[in-house]
Amino acid sequence: MTQTLDVGGRFSQLDSSHPVDATTSAAQTRASQFGTFAITFGITFPLLYTVFERLNWPLFTYQPAVGKLYFWLHRPLSGEGPPMYWYGWIVLAVASAFVVGWIATMVSGQWLRRATVFCCALAALWPAALAALRIFITDWATFDADFLNSVWVAAVPGFLGAAAITYFVPSRLAERAWTSWLLIVPIGGLVVLGYSLQQYFVR
Amino acid sequence: MDIISGIIREDTFWKILLFVHFLLAVSLLAAVTLQAVAVLMPARQAAGNFVDRSPVPAASYAAVIAILYVLQALMGAWVYVKYRTYVRIPMEELRHWWTVGSFEFKEHVVTMGMGLLPAYWYFWRQPLSAEHDGVRKWVTIFLALSVWYAFIVGHVANDFRGVGS
Repeated sequence: MTQTLDVGGRFSQLDSSHPVDATTSAAQTRASQFGTFAITFGITFPLLYTVFERLNWPLFTYQPAVGKLYFWLHRPLSGEGPPMYWYGWIVLAVASAFVVGWIATMVSGQWLRRATVFCCALAALWPAALAALRIFITDWATFDADFLNSVWVAAVPGFLGAAAITYFVPSRLAERAWTSWLLIVPIGGLVVLGYSLQQYFVR
Repeated sequence: MDIISGIIREDTFWKILLFVHFLLAVSLLAAVTLQAVAVLMPARQAAGNFVDRSPVPAASYAAVIAILYVLQALMGAWVYVKYRTYVRIPMEELRHWWTVGSFEFKEHVVTMGMGLLPAYWYFWRQPLSAEHDGVRKWVTIFLALSVWYAFIVGHVANDFRGVGS
């Protein structure tokens, strides 16, 4: 009788362990998805914030002196005082990074790490290509090369370079370096934004 | 704003906000500095089974730091309205370019730190993952440095035109 009860007890333990396992597994999946979202958001947000600040793409412009809010970029009218774009850059970067982070939870890990390498490489190479083209136009070109002074012309070497880097970076390195982008991107962004402020420090 | 200006002077209202901003800054600075010190000087394994404990339970600070950081950023964004119209313009007129530039950079530093908060919070979730030891440490140090930079630059701007200046 005792043995029967013991066996029955064991069966009931086994049976009851299934819902517990399922709950634990669901919790782990949620935690893992949140981790993917948080890391992707942490990489995307500083990247997009830097891009939006440099291109001056605010979602809205606030005019504090008159308390008015305008959609997108608004150049102040006479008597409106100084405009504030900072809020607009942040809100646009948060919304965009949120969408990217959400999409990241739905794609495979390997694809996500490759895409991260591609986007970060592109973010570095595209403006670098544009700067190189401008140097070429002013210092080297022996013909009228003004047509090269275009972000779309610079996009070609930018995309090709980023694609080549993404292709040649080994999967293991992309995997290991993924969380490192969390520090590389904000620091890189701060270098770019700090450089853009040099006018204040060299007067 | 009209309701508030009926109770206290507008100038006093902004000074109270700035003082709350300062109090939050001190709290955040203390918490994030203690945590950064804890990750830089982790618990050591002493003789036998005894562990030489870290001076602060670093993980328990993470949620407090994340909440304080967001509150502080929101408060800073509110006070920033007054800075843009009442402080920065005379700063430029008096050619305090280093202060203006440093404050502009502060906006970017604080924003970058804010973007890291979800990942920071994830890395400090219990149980702590050994896989994320390195990135957890560096994200914490980044946040600590950003808070220190913001505090010092904010203090300099306050000395130009703020509470007690």
